[in-house]
Amino acid sequence: MVVTQLSTRPRHGEGNSTPASGEARIRIFDVTLSYGSLQIIGGISLDIAPGETICVIGPSGCGKTTLLRMLAGLARPTSGSVELDGSVLGGPNRSVAIVFQDYGKALLPWRTAAGNVSLALEARGCPGAERLAITREMLEKIGLGRHADKYPAEMSGGMQQRLQIARCLAQEPKVLLMDEPFGALDAMTRQALQDEVLGLVATTGATMVFVTHDLEEAIYLGDRIICLQPNPGRVGRIVDVRLARPRNQLLTRENPEFLRLRRELYDLIKDDHQ
Amino acid sequence: MKHFSLRKLFLGCGALALFILAWKLVTDAKLVSPIFFPGPERTYAALVKGLSGGAMLSQTLETVQRMLLGWLLASFVGVFLGVLIGVSRRARAFIAPTLELLRPLPASAMIPIAIAFLGFSDNMVLVVIAFGALWPMLLATIHGFAAMEPRLYEVSALLGLSRAQVIWKLALPSAMPMILASLRLGLTISLILAVVGEMLASRQGLGQSILAASRSFRSPDLFAGIVILGAIGLVGSRLLSFAERRLLRWQAVSR
Ligand SMILES: Nc1ncnc2c1ncn2[C@@H]1O[C@H](COP(=O)(O)OP(=O)(O)OP(=O)(O)O)[C@@H](O)[C@H]1O
Ligand SMILES: [Mg+2]
Repeated sequence: MVVTQLSTRPRHGEGNSTPASGEARIRIFDVTLSYGSLQIIGGISLDIAPGETICVIGPSGCGKTTLLRMLAGLARPTSGSVELDGSVLGGPNRSVAIVFQDYGKALLPWRTAAGNVSLALEARGCPGAERLAITREMLEKIGLGRHADKYPAEMSGGMQQRLQIARCLAQEPKVLLMDEPFGALDAMTRQALQDEVLGLVATTGATMVFVTHDLEEAIYLGDRIICLQPNPGRVGRIVDVRLARPRNQLLTRENPEFLRLRRELYDLIKDDHQ
Repeated sequence: MKHFSLRKLFLGCGALALFILAWKLVTDAKLVSPIFFPGPERTYAALVKGLSGGAMLSQTLETVQRMLLGWLLASFVGVFLGVLIGVSRRARAFIAPTLELLRPLPASAMIPIAIAFLGFSDNMVLVVIAFGALWPMLLATIHGFAAMEPRLYEVSALLGLSRAQVIWKLALPSAMPMILASLRLGLTISLILAVVGEMLASRQGLGQSILAASRSFRSPDLFAGIVILGAIGLVGSRLLSFAERRLLRWQAVSR
């Protein structure tokens, strides 16, 4: 089967912002990162439970992308460590997938949608027949079944971002990192993709770290919301989101708790912008 | 689409007709002695005679074969060396400036060296062609590798692609537009060097027959040879741009 960790999705304990260390999927321990003398990340610690969805918000330039790149193993912390399932993350790792904001650059323009997904399978030496089947399944899952033979240049932004997600899923990651993945998409596409991602994360049991500018998106998707503060980037507040799942674009967004959270986050962010 | 290319074809033929007309006017007015400068009719007659009589046809085939062999050799060596240099950023920084410096010299500077080692032989001509024509492919591959989208390197690391997979599946395809364009340039250089090589080493082929025609004042034969060379160049470059369009379909859709 494609999905290896089909376990029921473990929710972290209610109201417990930091799960016990033994069961953390990702452990960020006092991480800092400097470019030369300039400190970008100034001491972030965070435990993320398996299956948890963390949303990261914060003003532009506060280090959200940098934090995500460290979780992906693409950037090395200057001090502190990032652990995946108890062992230090030394570099990029197949169990951690990342969806970049600039989908145009992350896709192979000379490969069709199917070819792009297939790349993830070729990387782990998956045999040809199986590759075709899994590719097809992934594209179906993300709603690109009819577009398998299209090149990225023939696809809309939403379709390209779907394709990038499909490739990440083909990687069978334990952790899915997303860097403002829907920032460039229109509102309707965005909501559709939010629901698709929530569905996929729920069925695969993947752990997700989702960076966004959009407060409502953060509340809609997350179990917890990390508010980063700038100069250097550090955790300002952690807000628990106690909204029932599965979430629903209309009902969830009308929930008084949703509106209260939106207000709370808005005030927090406003303070950061002075 | 179809309409457009038909119009282009029409324009191209029109320009050719004008050129031939001007050629005819100049020769009819006897601006240049007809001994040195035959008109289009005499050239055409020489062409028909040469191609049907057999001598010129076999010489053409010799030259085309020489050109293709040299070009293939140049392409493989050029791309292969380009990959070796292109995969390493350090190798690129180290060698690329030297290559840029050597590039304008090689073909002509190579000939005496090639003669010294290989004598006046077919192999000598082949080496000269390969050495002179590999530069566009070599530099295109190096530049193509350097210009690869950095994000794709990150994607390859995240997916866990091997080094060989990065070369085959990412770097080479992303350098392909540049490499294909360089193949066309390389073919032109191969044709020129094939002819020059034949003249110098007196090997069978159009180069030699053109030289012989000019030495014995058979100017229609000389011009017929030149027309054939032009046609070889045109057909070669057309075939390659056709292949280019097919291989780069993914690019055409984005325009
Ligand atoms: N390679 C680098 N060299 C030097 N400084 C860098 C580098 N990459 C990022 N920075 C700096 O680090 C800071 C954080 O950047 P980062 O991209 O993580 O911010 P962000 O929170 O993702 O912002 P945005 O919301 O605009 O995407 C910025 O001030 C940026 O200028
Ligand atoms: Mg960012």
